[in-house]
Amino acid sequence: MSSHYEAPIRRPLIIGDKSYHDISVDVAAPVEGKANKLWWIAFSIALLAFLWGIGSIIYTIGTGIGVWGLNKTVGWAWDITNFVWWVGIGHAGTLISAVLLLFRQKWRMGINRSAEAMTIFSVIQAGLFPVIHMGRVWNAHFVLPLPNQFGTLWTNFNSPLLWDVFAISTYLSVSLVFWWTGLLPDFAMLRDRAVRPFQKKIYGMLSFGWTGRAKDWQRFEEVSLVLAGLATPLVLSVHTIVSFDFATSIVPGWHTTIFPPYFVAGAVFSGFAMVNTLLIIMRKVSNLEAYITEQHIELMNIVIMITGSIVGCAYITELFIAWYSGVEYEQYAFLNRATGPYWWAYLLMMSCNVFSPQFMWFKRLRTSITFSFIISIVVNIGMWFERFVIIVTSLHRDYLPSSWTMFSPTFVDIGIFIGTIGFFFVLFLLYARTFPVIAQAEVKSILKSSGEKYKKLRDGNHE
Amino acid sequence: MASNKKYWKSVEELKEKSSIVDTLKQNEFFEEIPTDIFLGDKETLETSSTTRRDFLKYVGFTTAAVTLASCEGPVVKSIPYIIQPDDIIPGVAEYYATTMADGFDFANVLVKVREGRPIKIEPNKDANGITNARVQASVLSLYDSLRLKGPKANGAEISWSEADQQIIAKLNEVKATSLPIAVLTGTSASPSTKKLIAKLNETFENVTHVEYDAISESAALDAFEEMYGTRALPDYHLEKAEVIVSIGADFLGSWQGGGFEASYSKGRVPTNGKMSRHIQFESNMSLTGANADKRVVIKPSEQNLALIKLYNAVVSGILTTEETPLNDTIQKAARQLIKAGSKGVVISGIQDKNAQLLALAINKALNSEVLDVNVTKNIRKGNDAHVAQLITDMNEGKIGAVIICNSNPVYTLPNSAAFVEGLKKVKLSVAFSMQDNETAKAVQYSLATPHYLESWGDAEIRKGQYSLIQPTIKTLFNTRQFQDCLLAWTGSTATYYDFLKETWNNEILGGASWNQALHDGVFTAEAVQSDAISLEVDLETAASQLAEVKGSDLELQLYVKIGLGDGQMANNPWLQELPDPITRTSWDNYLTMSKADAEALGATNNHVANGALNGSLVELTLNGVSEILPVLIQPGQAKGSLGLAFGYGRKQGLKAEMQTGKNAYAFYKDFNNFQPNVSLKLVPGEHEFACVQLQNTLMGRGDIIKETTLEIFNTVDSKEWNIVPVVSLDHNEVEAGSVDLWDSFDRSIGHHFNLSIDLNACNGCGACIIACHAENNVPVVGKEEIRRSRDMHWLRIDRYYSHQEDFAGDNELKANGKGVMGFKNAMDTLEDPSENPSVAFQPVMCQHCNHAPCETVCPVAATSHGRQGQNQMAYNRCVGTRYCANNCPYKVRRFNWFEYPNNSKFDYNMNDDLGKMVLNPDVVVRSRGVMEKCSMCIQMTQATILKAKKEGRPVNTNEFETACSIACTTDALVFGDVNKPEDTVKSLAEDKRAYHLLEHIGTKPNVVYHVKVRNTQES
Amino acid sequence: MSNKVVQAMYNDDDILMDAVKEVRAANYHIEEVYTPFPVHGLDKAMGLKGTRIAITAFLYGCVGLVFSIWMMDYMMIKDWPQDIGGKPSFTFIQNMPAFVPIMFEMTVFFAAHLMVITFYMRSRLWPFKEAENPDPRTTDDMFVMEVIVDGNEEELVAFLKKTGTVEIKVTEKH
Repeated sequence: MSSHYEAPIRRPLIIGDKSYHDISVDVAAPVEGKANKLWWIAFSIALLAFLWGIGSIIYTIGTGIGVWGLNKTVGWAWDITNFVWWVGIGHAGTLISAVLLLFRQKWRMGINRSAEAMTIFSVIQAGLFPVIHMGRVWNAHFVLPLPNQFGTLWTNFNSPLLWDVFAISTYLSVSLVFWWTGLLPDFAMLRDRAVRPFQKKIYGMLSFGWTGRAKDWQRFEEVSLVLAGLATPLVLSVHTIVSFDFATSIVPGWHTTIFPPYFVAGAVFSGFAMVNTLLIIMRKVSNLEAYITEQHIELMNIVIMITGSIVGCAYITELFIAWYSGVEYEQYAFLNRATGPYWWAYLLMMSCNVFSPQFMWFKRLRTSITFSFIISIVVNIGMWFERFVIIVTSLHRDYLPSSWTMFSPTFVDIGIFIGTIGFFFVLFLLYARTFPVIAQAEVKSILKSSGEKYKKLRDGNHE
Repeated sequence: MASNKKYWKSVEELKEKSSIVDTLKQNEFFEEIPTDIFLGDKETLETSSTTRRDFLKYVGFTTAAVTLASCEGPVVKSIPYIIQPDDIIPGVAEYYATTMADGFDFANVLVKVREGRPIKIEPNKDANGITNARVQASVLSLYDSLRLKGPKANGAEISWSEADQQIIAKLNEVKATSLPIAVLTGTSASPSTKKLIAKLNETFENVTHVEYDAISESAALDAFEEMYGTRALPDYHLEKAEVIVSIGADFLGSWQGGGFEASYSKGRVPTNGKMSRHIQFESNMSLTGANADKRVVIKPSEQNLALIKLYNAVVSGILTTEETPLNDTIQKAARQLIKAGSKGVVISGIQDKNAQLLALAINKALNSEVLDVNVTKNIRKGNDAHVAQLITDMNEGKIGAVIICNSNPVYTLPNSAAFVEGLKKVKLSVAFSMQDNETAKAVQYSLATPHYLESWGDAEIRKGQYSLIQPTIKTLFNTRQFQDCLLAWTGSTATYYDFLKETWNNEILGGASWNQALHDGVFTAEAVQSDAISLEVDLETAASQLAEVKGSDLELQLYVKIGLGDGQMANNPWLQELPDPITRTSWDNYLTMSKADAEALGATNNHVANGALNGSLVELTLNGVSEILPVLIQPGQAKGSLGLAFGYGRKQGLKAEMQTGKNAYAFYKDFNNFQPNVSLKLVPGEHEFACVQLQNTLMGRGDIIKETTLEIFNTVDSKEWNIVPVVSLDHNEVEAGSVDLWDSFDRSIGHHFNLSIDLNACNGCGACIIACHAENNVPVVGKEEIRRSRDMHWLRIDRYYSHQEDFAGDNELKANGKGVMGFKNAMDTLEDPSENPSVAFQPVMCQHCNHAPCETVCPVAATSHGRQGQNQMAYNRCVGTRYCANNCPYKVRRFNWFEYPNNSKFDYNMNDDLGKMVLNPDVVVRSRGVMEKCSMCIQMTQATILKAKKEGRPVNTNEFETACSIACTTDALVFGDVNKPEDTVKSLAEDKRAYHLLEHIGTKPNVVYHVKVRNTQES
Repeated sequence: MSNKVVQAMYNDDDILMDAVKEVRAANYHIEEVYTPFPVHGLDKAMGLKGTRIAITAFLYGCVGLVFSIWMMDYMMIKDWPQDIGGKPSFTFIQNMPAFVPIMFEMTVFFAAHLMVITFYMRSRLWPFKEAENPDPRTTDDMFVMEVIVDGNEEELVAFLKKTGTVEIKVTEKH
């Protein structure tokens, strides 16, 4: 058993007396079992919100962007706020599955599947906004460098918004294949367990006929490694480029060189929070406490605490640099941010993002499931307001005082945002019922090294 | 459908019981249907490829095809010329010289006509024509869909011939009763019309002609008559003035008919070290006061005293003893006047004959060459006394008939109720009107007259300067001119055109060519002999009488807005949406009030969540008459005084959207714009303003509007007062403009356009805004959208108040705000304007930056830089991400939030076929979801280039123009090609006053501003 | 030759590993091994060659980079150069800084997708592909080793029995 040696101080990642087969059973349980009442309630609520969102979007496209609260001075508000927020949330998944894979962090295996699912679903939400915020959605294809009847009519590769188009689409598609490749063996497992022919057929199709040959596994691991290697810079680049939308502009409060790292940290921050939110529920509902252990939650809380502190430093740096620059427009932008008409938003952002994660220094709090859950929600509220503050408070009072004005959302703004949340949960709930929510193949591979039972055995031998 | 017709098949049917008939009855067809021919032989049937299914398929397909064919696409109407008129070249604009003379505005204009449609008004510069916002917008009133479309008798439509018969009959009855026939007209200044009224008098005897100005200048007219013998208005050549002291005269507005902005600004631009000094005593913050070097805030009643004191000081050298600040300023003003001597002038807007006498007397004493008593102006003739008399006579039944023309007394008279009563008592009441307005409703006969762009006519605006009015389009409706009617009623068969031509040939032209005059639009008689005779006037009594005018602790000062003027164009959406230059509020009139008074009363102005401005409501009462009005807190309003604008509150014949504000004429007692003894009461509720500028101060950002004083300008090097921002390059400071990341494009070849804006010359009148509206098909968005900060103006005029008494003070205050808290406190305080702020105007349109931030960020390259310096928009490429607008530091980009044309939610001129006729075919109407902005009138510059090319010549010096630069009467906006050394703009761009807006960002704009210089010399 | 194979089934990865080693030591030819999860070192034990899929990824990445450079050079510099915010569109290199983000994205895009497609093609994975694992339990908790029979069936079976298999099946492999 020496090949599976792991330091005894490491706490087991798989609790209880589990065999390979048990893992299969546990993972397949939610898929093969019936949905309980709770799931149906959650699903119908999510669906309702989703439909409301669709309604609002149709209304917007049919009538004009004027149905939103925007005006001549504030050209972006909730639309881009939501866009950045969702993209940010997306980052956790890739980070967990890619970066932690590179660092050989075994604890990723319990959560990466769901984290990646969340990534894909939230990037879908994010991708929605750059499209519907266009005044003429029906011409959205103009942003692609397509050959056209005018021959010489190309896109503008100088524009950060076009960089976004490439970054987001690359990010979405790459995370999708990464996710899917990982899913193949697990789909195969479901396929081979399936009794109902329909299920067999579906999972047969989804699993691409995976058989688990030694050679395939060899390639599989190589591919996962390379994809992780590609996804890591990609995930960093995506939010960097999103931050370029602001950083490369000339609006005081946007034109800031600190944005790329600060945005990435913020993204990881909000992403891990969202992963916490989802998994804390899921481990209960689909009783996977054995695989998503308190240790997982704690580790993620630590990440949240660290990234939260980074974000906090960024806020302070911004303020300092604004003052230090000696440029009155910069100085006023940040003064107005903190003390202007939107001071309450700034206060919310500060307290949610900078102060609340500091509780995680206390082991009792970061190991408390309920507390982690609350904090994860608080953090995501805070991160939404961060984007709102950056976008709206910078725009509404910029260079010429004559153009200063205010922004207030309409019910359509709100409707679309709620709608995307609904859409997100519709997707996630469906996923939780039909997909192997834990990368069981990978978990099996660490069962002997990090399984509670085997560790006990080994540690026994050592004495 | 069973028809009970019986058809004969054969004679057999005549017989009853004919076997043949019976058989015929039995079978429908005479011979067998040859079914067996094809059903008979099986094999062909079997072999045939068409199965039943196929057959059904074909049926289905054809049905579908037919259905599809029956749906038709939208039909676009385009009517070709059957016979193309040889003077019209499609796509090429024609210009006609004509004259606007609507009784309130008088201007020599050029009318731009495209394919027979007048689409734009431009000043006739050869005839030193001046077009203010109203004149510019008047073209849209031509296409007003609510015009009076034909003659009506008691509301019922009738034909012109019937109308003529009935009216002539009635006139003859009146003639029999030998009661006077009153002709009530607005000031027409038309020689030929005068003749026609005289002609009317010949036919029907005792015809009295009463002239009536809605906004009276009677006092000035009477005073001038008393002093110089003729009832006319003197002219003021303000360009000659070194010191201008104005007491309550808004001469940049519509004081005495306006039209002084050009001459005023000539004297305001510092040339070889000199510019005029302008001291303004006033209670409301007027456009004139906003432009003054020194603005003294005093209540209307105090203005009388100020004038008397000034008179005493200047004329009789008496210096008042008690030392109040007011006296001090008056002394200083007086000294400066005396110093300036013949180059000084005093102007008064006080509607009091005595006051006007004193003003004239002071100028006489100075023997001011600014005042011109010889070439007098005829643009105001109204006589309040006569009007008042007429109304009493009407009510006493002493008037037989009333013929009203070019005037809307039922709306504009303070005692309109009495007038309406009077109308009931006269035998015949006729109103000639273009609109279906209040008066047209009140009279028996409302006769539709054409718009001035559809009419013939003439006007003697200045003595000896005759202007012609010629039609530029065939009458749109069944209208007939007042003059034609008079001719018809006086039994003449001639048309007014003949009469006009005859009159001119006989009396005016003196042998000169009629065609030439028509072409020029004006004719100036050579020697104008002055009939100004100096009369002795007892000024002491005048002064003492004036001194007796009692004030009160709350005084109302009525004023005229740039936008609506006297209100006759209230149905004109362009003017309704034009923000007031001072309050920057559109779609409303309101009670302006000083902050102190508002606080005392508990009235507030506050901003709602989306920033829109709300104000408390108050009830204003003046002996019996009372009205609920919104309060707008106005910096620079005299404590204890209120301001209220004329021209609003019309209801009759207006679209619902245009029925804005309250009627101020109700408070126009005795035609006096100064009304003491008004009382105020706060009433519950709030009013929603449509204000386009929500931040009123400059926040100490002195680099946005650079200012200096005349001394500094003359004595110190420009580096001191026109500070160029510097950046650090390799640790030494260099001018921001000189630093560049990349090697630049070559902009020295071909044309490169620049627009120069002189902040000294610009007085904020807003004519350019309307010109831009007309030229570029800018949509009107309406009150609600303005409240959402979504105005679409491509060109706006920002107005800033200072927090200290001048902007230099603000800059200091900001500089002194040391440390974070200091800075915060400075900013907080700077947000509210001073009690009597100094004001600055700044026209802002797209700056056409050579390093445009908007271009870089557009993902689809819908906006990029042209070879001629313009920042261009490709509307049909734009997807509407609004990133460009966010990244524009000047916030000049405008987004089409909705579909504005053909949208019943925006029921303005672009929503009806008539209103659309004003659209400029050279400029596309933008669709929903597209970003738009100033194009530097690229359609005009291209046309100019093309014209030169056709004529095989280089473009002439200063030939390039934009809509705004043409409209600008003060030459504040100068457009041209900087690659052309002769063009004026070239030298202006290199002037020592020249600077770029927000230069430190390095956008390298093609719009140049000129530092504002104020003449602060106290003595 | 006949393509008869013996399928020996194991229920533990460590036992499988030892078995694989023994079988190879005894010079039997292991046709294939099916496992429910990646068993580390198995490929070495079976003597499989290392995969070269990472190299293809690198090459694909280069293709992506070159393509993006060509695309932006053609569209922004060659075909229709414009004055956009005064940015120099004279040569590619002057305008290049603005193109870096997309160059990177395209590199990743090409590398990731083409590599995965290659993997699917080489391992014959695509929708509607029939699974070929000998026993459904091989995706759950069973490990199957296929050894080619050539005339020595009994001996082979006997040998495998000793390697701790839980089940043995002899089948025709098509």
